[in-house]
Amino acid sequence: MRDGAVNLGGRTIWSGANFSLEPGTVTAVLGPNGAGKSTLLNVILGLAPLSEGSLEVLGASPHRGNRAVGLLAQSRHADELSTITARDYVGLGYDGPRFGWRRDKTKDEVVARALAMTGTTSFADRPLRTLSGGQRQRAALAHATVFEPRLLLLDEPLAGLDLTAQAEIVDLIHLIRTTTGAGVLVVAHDLNPLAPLVDQVLWIARRQVRSGAINDVVNEEVLSDLYGHPIEIIVTPRGRRVIVGLEEEFAHPHPHGHDHSNELAHEHLGDLYTDPSA
Amino acid sequence: MSLHELVALSFVQHAFYAVTAVALAAGAVGYFVVLRRQAFAAHAIGHVGFAGAAGAVWLGLSPVVGLLAFCVGAGLLIGLGGAKLDDRDAVVGVTLTAALGLGVLFISLYSGYANATYSILFGQILGVSWGDVGLVALLSLLVVVAVSVIYRPLLFVSIDAQSAASRGLSARKLSLAFLLLLAVTTVVAIQVVGVLLVFSLLVAPAAAAEVITNRPLRALALSSALALASAWLGLFFGVWLGGPVSFWITALSSVSYLAARLVNARREHRARCVVA
Repeated sequence: MRDGAVNLGGRTIWSGANFSLEPGTVTAVLGPNGAGKSTLLNVILGLAPLSEGSLEVLGASPHRGNRAVGLLAQSRHADELSTITARDYVGLGYDGPRFGWRRDKTKDEVVARALAMTGTTSFADRPLRTLSGGQRQRAALAHATVFEPRLLLLDEPLAGLDLTAQAEIVDLIHLIRTTTGAGVLVVAHDLNPLAPLVDQVLWIARRQVRSGAINDVVNEEVLSDLYGHPIEIIVTPRGRRVIVGLEEEFAHPHPHGHDHSNELAHEHLGDLYTDPSA
Repeated sequence: MSLHELVALSFVQHAFYAVTAVALAAGAVGYFVVLRRQAFAAHAIGHVGFAGAAGAVWLGLSPVVGLLAFCVGAGLLIGLGGAKLDDRDAVVGVTLTAALGLGVLFISLYSGYANATYSILFGQILGVSWGDVGLVALLSLLVVVAVSVIYRPLLFVSIDAQSAASRGLSARKLSLAFLLLLAVTTVVAIQVVGVLLVFSLLVAPAAAAEVITNRPLRALALSSALALASAWLGLFFGVWLGGPVSFWITALSSVSYLAARLVNARREHRARCVVA
């Protein structure tokens, strides 16, 4: 994308977007709630237009229905209720957009391959609503990758998962990008579980999109600036870096957050201090 | 009169063809009503149809004309006004109540209402003419063909609207198309079971089918089959034993849902025992 900007209803969502995604790499999109992360996905999908600048998606202008772009959507409202099986859901990724009755002979084979790659096969014939969060996310990844897309967009793929499931999905994303060579764009609010995978970070703050290598972005100064409140990075004894302070952003979003440091301090106290008389 | 003679009566044959066509259409559309959880919209469209039929009777027209105009209008209104899931209930509710008010007005204006009102509310399939059968069959066929054409995309947007949008499908257009099909289906179903009992063909068989199978195509076919069985048996019992046909259809389709739930509960219980 070159000098990309988006206006919606006369308001600039963000501007100054300059970045490119390389095949086989993972790019994380960070930013406070409401910063326009989903808008960025919609622009790439051809669902929202750029008001300035230009964008090339896999050598063409973005257009709807591009099979070479796969999407794992954030909220699939039918998940909790849906009686359809994981296999049928993946099948919809294959021929769901097609009107009429014609059926492809290759469909079953392609669907089975996507199920196998994502480790979904063993529970493929169970209804989505009986699956665990991690299993559903595997099925959703199979759905998104049924055509082995060259660009894979993941909207909050780890939201609502426990730590084990998060680690499994991170491994699976790694597997997909190495086996298919797809470029992956992940919208995430917590960078920690994804950090080992991420090559590049796009961050959206104050209506600007900036990009950088993960090591340039993951420092306290940049992240604190990005979220408008203090963020700390702790290095564990084994050398892992953990970002602290983002949890509050999502538990209590402060879209215009300037000076909430006192409030945050209280929240921290609340976590650590339990009144013995209570 | 023997059963053989009863079945040979022309009005019974008219009814047979009409319920067959209607049940197939209602079963298929009903699957999506249940899947998309739009029972309230289906309910409202039927009641709006009541106002249309009452208005048509008052103007001296065939009730079907009023039904078609009002049901399709309600489908459009709900589809265009309630595109966002959040305000859908409010739009449906207001449409419903406004139309019922109109219906009351039309009834009060028309002096000889009792009979016409009764048949709109509770159905009077044994009174249909050949002309009605032709219209009902044509509209039902239209619905069945349309559902078979939009089946996969409609299923896709119902299950995962965002992914479907990214693949080029418009949830808004498909939702509107579905509501129009629902409106036409409601019109034909009202001919058989009336406004108040429309769910006996539109919701109960589909709900039973969804309990029995997880596969969309099978559920759709099963829903139509159950609607058809309820309609045929209901007509048969109504003619043979007496009592309103719409009562029999409602009773049978409700029992089929209950039976499906019981069978499913036993199946799940057994599955749990095997695991334990």
